[in-house]
Parts: sequence; C-alpha cells; structure tokens
Amino acid sequence: MIAVTPSDPRYPPRLRHLARPPDPLWVAGDETALAARSVAIVGTRRMTGYGERVAREIAGACAEANVVVVSGLAQGIDSAAHRGALDGGGRTVAVLGEGITLFLATVRGRRRPLAPRIRARGALVSQYAPTFCAQPWAFAKRNATIAALAEVVLVVEAGEQSGALITAAEARRLGRPLFAVPGPLGSAASVGTNALLASGEARALVSADALLNALGLGRHSAITSPVDPILEALAGGDLDADALRRRVRATEDELADRLMRLVLAGHVTQTPDGRYRRHS
Amino acid sequence: MSTAVASQQTARSVARVSACALWGLESAMVTVEADVANGLPSFTVVGMPDAAVSEARERVRAAIRNSGFEFPLRRVVVNLAPAERRKEGTGFDLAIALGVLRATGQVTRDADALCLAELALDGTLRPVRGVMARVRRAVLAGVSAAFVAPENAAEAAALGTDAFGFASLRDVVEHVEGRVRQSPSPMPRPAQRPPHPVDLADIAGHETPKRALEVAAAGGHSLLFVGPPGTGKTLLARAIASLLPAFDPDEAIVASAVHSVAGLIDPERPLLGARPFRAPHHTASHLALVGGGSPPRPGEVSLAHGGALFLDELAEFSPSVLDTLREPLEEGAVTISRAGTTATYPARFTLVAAMNPCPCGHAGDPAEQCTCLPDAVDRYHARLSGPLLDRIDLRVHVPRIAYEELREDGREASRTVRERVIAARERMTARLAGTGRRCNAELSVGEVRRHCRLASEAEALAAEAMRGRRLSARGFHRVLRVARTVADLAGSDEIRTADLAFALMLRAQA
Repeated sequence: MIAVTPSDPRYPPRLRHLARPPDPLWVAGDETALAARSVAIVGTRRMTGYGERVAREIAGACAEANVVVVSGLAQGIDSAAHRGALDGGGRTVAVLGEGITLFLATVRGRRRPLAPRIRARGALVSQYAPTFCAQPWAFAKRNATIAALAEVVLVVEAGEQSGALITAAEARRLGRPLFAVPGPLGSAASVGTNALLASGEARALVSADALLNALGLGRHSAITSPVDPILEALAGGDLDADALRRRVRATEDELADRLMRLVLAGHVTQTPDGRYRRHS
Repeated sequence: MSTAVASQQTARSVARVSACALWGLESAMVTVEADVANGLPSFTVVGMPDAAVSEARERVRAAIRNSGFEFPLRRVVVNLAPAERRKEGTGFDLAIALGVLRATGQVTRDADALCLAELALDGTLRPVRGVMARVRRAVLAGVSAAFVAPENAAEAAALGTDAFGFASLRDVVEHVEGRVRQSPSPMPRPAQRPPHPVDLADIAGHETPKRALEVAAAGGHSLLFVGPPGTGKTLLARAIASLLPAFDPDEAIVASAVHSVAGLIDPERPLLGARPFRAPHHTASHLALVGGGSPPRPGEVSLAHGGALFLDELAEFSPSVLDTLREPLEEGAVTISRAGTTATYPARFTLVAAMNPCPCGHAGDPAEQCTCLPDAVDRYHARLSGPLLDRIDLRVHVPRIAYEELREDGREASRTVRERVIAARERMTARLAGTGRRCNAELSVGEVRRHCRLASEAEALAAEAMRGRRLSARGFHRVLRVARTVADLAGSDEIRTADLAFALMLRAQA
C-alpha cells in the first residue's frame, strides 16, 4: 500500500484538478488503473435482480472495451459492478469510505473474497488512513471522490435517499456526463434514478454503447435484444416457473425443456428462493 | 410348615418365563429365570438390569403379597438371560413375578406366553410402551400368546397373536392354572383414515408447486418451498398428507411400533390408519427431532417413518439441529448411542420444508418491497448447510397469487392426484420387489443405473448437464431419481426429455 500526494506523478490526474483533492490518497494495488479511461457505476445496496444484472452486464461491456470500472465496493450494485468488470477480464477500482487495512480485516460476506480480487486486478483506494474506522460522513465524501475519479458516471438503481445520488450530484457539479438506468415505476430501488431522468439531470441509459460513446470509444454492444422469449421475460427481474410459463405461453413440459437448455448454457440460474434469474 | 413342604414338591428348581427387551425398535427375547434357594432371605435381579428393572423387586414383592400369594422368605435370584445387554424399562415385572411364583410352586404350570406388563403394588397390571415391537419379536421367535395389561391388549392383538389383557396378577395366575380361562382379545381394526384438513382443490394456482408436491409424495423426494409469508406454503405442505398412498400392512406395523415405543398410539386402535404427518415446531431440540434421552425415545424423524416430516420456517431451526437430519435422510434410520446402550429407529420419511426468501420475507413479493441487504439474505440462506441443501431434491418458489388466479376453476382434487401417486408407487414397488425398499428416493446407485433409462433425446440433455459441471455425481443421481418419478407419474418406462427437464429445473442452483 502506498500513500500518494497530489505532487506525486502517480496521483490520479482527475483528482488533481479538484479544489480540495484528497491528500494523501491511499492506494493498494495497481495505481495505473487510476489514470486509465474509466466509468463509475454506482447504486443502491438494496438492489433488485434487474439492477444486479444491468450493473454486471454494463461493467462487463466496459471491461471488454478496456475501460476501468470505478465503484464504492458497497453491497448491492457496487459489488455487482466490480464483479462484472472482473468476470469480464477488466480492471476495476474500489473507493472505500474507511481505512483499507481495517476494511480488509473486517469485511464479511460476499465482499470478503471480492476485495482481494479487486486489489489484484485493479486497486483499492481510500482517502482515509489505513486504520480509519467507518463514519457516516466519510461515505458521503467517498461518494464524491468516485465521481471525480471517473470520466462518466452511471447510476444503475438508487432509492430516494441513496448515497449514489451524492455521486450523481458531484458528477453534475464537476461536469461529468451522468447516466441513469430507467427502472419500473413503483420499485423503491428506482425512485432516485427515475427522478434523475425526470428532472433531466441524467441521460437515460439504454445500452452500454451510450456510455462508451461518451468516452469517445466505438460501439460495443453488450445488451443485445434477446431472441429467446424466456430471456426476454426474465429481463425485468426474477420469475417463478408458473409466472414464466404464463409469460411465454408454454406448456409445463415445453417450459421445463426450454428453461433447462438456457440453464445449461449458463444464461439462467435458479436463485436460492427457487425463482429463475437471467444471467446474460 | 407342611404346606410349604408340599408346595416345594411341585416347584421347579428354576422357573423360566418369556419376556422381551427393547432397544429402540431392536428387540430380543429374554428368558426370565427365577431360582429360590435356601439361605438368608434376599431378592436379587441379575443380567444387566437398569434402575427401573432393579426397582421391579419392590413392586414384585408387594404385588405378590397383595395378590394373596406368599413371597418366599428365602434366597431369590432372578436372571434376565441373555445377560450381556442392558435391559431397560418396567415391562419385566410380570415375568419376574410369575417366575417367582412358579419357582415356589404357587403356580404349577408354565406360562407359555410373552409376559409384558408393569405391576402395581396391589397386583394390578399396568401398560408399558413398545408392546407392538416386542410382540412382533415374540411371534418371530414362535411365542404366539401374550399376557399384557388390558390397555395393551389391542396393540398386542393387532399382530395376530393371542393377546390376553389381564387386570391383575391374580387373573394371570387363574388363567395359567386353567381355573378361569380368558378369551384372547379380538384383532383391532386399523385406525380410521382421518379426514384431510387440506385438499389440493382448496388451493388456487401454484401449478408447479403442486406438481412438485405430487412428485415428492410419489417418490419420497425431499422438497423445499420458498416464498413470501402468506402465499400458501404451509397449506401446500399440509396437503401432502392427502396425497400419500395408504400403508402396506407390514409398513403399518413398523410405523405403529415406533409410535408404540413413544407411547403415542390410541390403545383401542393401535394400527396407524394413515401415513404419519409430523410437523415439529422450529424451536425443536436435537432430542425432539432425531430422538434420544435415556432410555432413548424416537424423535420426530422416526415418528414420521413411512410418512412426511414437515419443517415450517426451515431457516429458523437451529443449524446444528438441522445438520442432524443428514444421517436419517441418507440412511433412512437413526442410531442413538448412550452409555451402555444403542437404539436404532427407522426414519424413512418425505421431507417437506418451507421458508421465507429473506429475513423480511418480501424478496420477490410484488405486494411489498424487500428491505434486506444482500449480505443479510446470504446469511439467511447460509443457515442451511450445503450438505443439507444437497439432499433437497426439489426447490420451488411459491409466489403471491394474483386475485384473477384465485377464481381459476378446474383445480384438481387430492383424490385425483392421489390415484396417480398410487399408480406410480405401484410401478416403483414392482421395480424394487424383494429389496424391502419402496420408492424411487431409495434407489441405490446401481439401481439408478439399471432403472433410470433415458430416452435418446434425454440422454443428450443429461450429458450436457454433467458436462456443464453444474451437478456433482451425487446431485446427478438425485436428479435421475426425481426424473424416474416424474416418468412413473406419466406411466412411462423411459425417462423422456420433459421428465428430466422438470427434475433439473427444480435443482438448477448455480
């Protein structure tokens, strides 16, 4: 782990232009990832199956285009974005709201194996000393740093009070292109993103191309319109077998057969609660 | 003095009476030997008696005196042979008393019957637990009569033996001496099949969960319902009782014997009329679930033998308690070891479990927003260990049903589904004839290979499933067993693609 100051050549150039850049910035991993072309993908911790898939797919598309995915390594959308980038073979940067050493020692759950992967294929970054203990206000400042570190910001899902909206506001202030993923009306996880779209603060994201175009990169389609009606039915979120069968108007036997072929091809998995989730 | 000398002349030096010892459902004939010799007055019971058997001395002494007989003021030794295993319980009282009376010549004929009752101090016979299992052992050993308390008479008669229910020790002696002969109790009728509280026709929608329930009922596969609260998981699970086929006579005897050991049968109708449906609460302990204690009692898994065990709110059970289910799910039996004794109880049941999708219960619920963080949901599911989940064959989501579907007609009644289940069971038992096993969940690996023949197109799907590394070898065998049941329900000899696909679909975890 190193601590870089704004005068250091390894200091992320995009942070150097800030009025009050983080000084020093603690970096564990590959510091060149901080200077590379990058997109921030952020969102709520209480994500839906739909948000998880979109975050993962967009991050995967960025990875393919050799764009670094920056996020906050929180549960939910942030983790899905990091995972999508790593699974797509790309690099990713996690900006933490607490000390790096403390985080690595205390993190539990799905993020525990994720953190070392990010460190190996990108960097863990924090504006706080290695043993700094998490404070609510620190996360707000971290959210602003995410916006500053990336060239483009995408909010996948955000509730009314989501911290991702701080990143969005900071992106607006810094003049970074801001995108939001439109969500279903009535879904608590999309209230914030839909509000960003309604007020015109963010542009609606309809494919990964738009995001990459904002970086001046050529088209690169990841979200193609699915041909399989089952995948299409699952695009809006997880469904149980009966709901799925009604949506695609199949008999029980037909559905089982077609669904199984999609599962075996890796396009669909069964969730722990017994529903079916689209995977790609 | 002269009467004592006279009675000694007709006395045998050593009297023998048949009794039976029970460890779990394992039983062994015990010969109670009584010897009365000259010496300082004493009364000793040898042959590994436990505390309850040793205390029999005091009950027997009082019962003999209070029944108008004489307890010898001599040296009395009673041996429970074979002497190598510990004997438990109070069921030896009657046999010891008869042995003493026979050895002292107060009874002049041998009692050619299994003697199985506890004695009250006034000589009244009291019922004991586990009569059915012991009478069954006696029948196998060629003892065709049983002397029991009146409360146990129906239970002993259920197995076709000449069961005599005697009110008191006096009555037993009168009968043995041939002075007042009693007639054996009539064979009891099996208990009525209780009316099922839930019929499938009461449940709207839920086609896939219902089909999974049918498959579980037919093949004995374990099933997990996951869904938000109030969507009918419990109702569905309870409906399995209405789908299970009737007991075969020998299955009924084993299941009833377990209930008899637990002291849970109706004394008038000792044979279970319907397959058991057990639903222990999620606060259940190890002891309650798999059995134990001293003497070892059967737990819920054994009481559910031959029927269904329903665990509602599966994730709320203590994880260590749930892990004890692995042995019965794999072996179909539970062995409880306690200092000096081991007891084995059968435990082959269909596991039906239900749980919420997340701690708040609303993940995937269109009516409510889930408020759980992803890690909390993970932790909730992690309460079920991998090895336990691996043994769950069918995982089905039970969604909230829209109002329009509630009015849907043409719902199948349990009776119709049960007919299909019975037909499928018949195919299974024919296939497993002579193995003592009955349904597809019990197929051995070799039998899976032999009986789960795949149609040629299904073969390709199976190969793909194995290649994709999505299934372990064990997981794949479990899928094949389920697919076999789906095909049996459709009356097909071969497993078709749709059968295999249905089995795979409900086990499609990443």
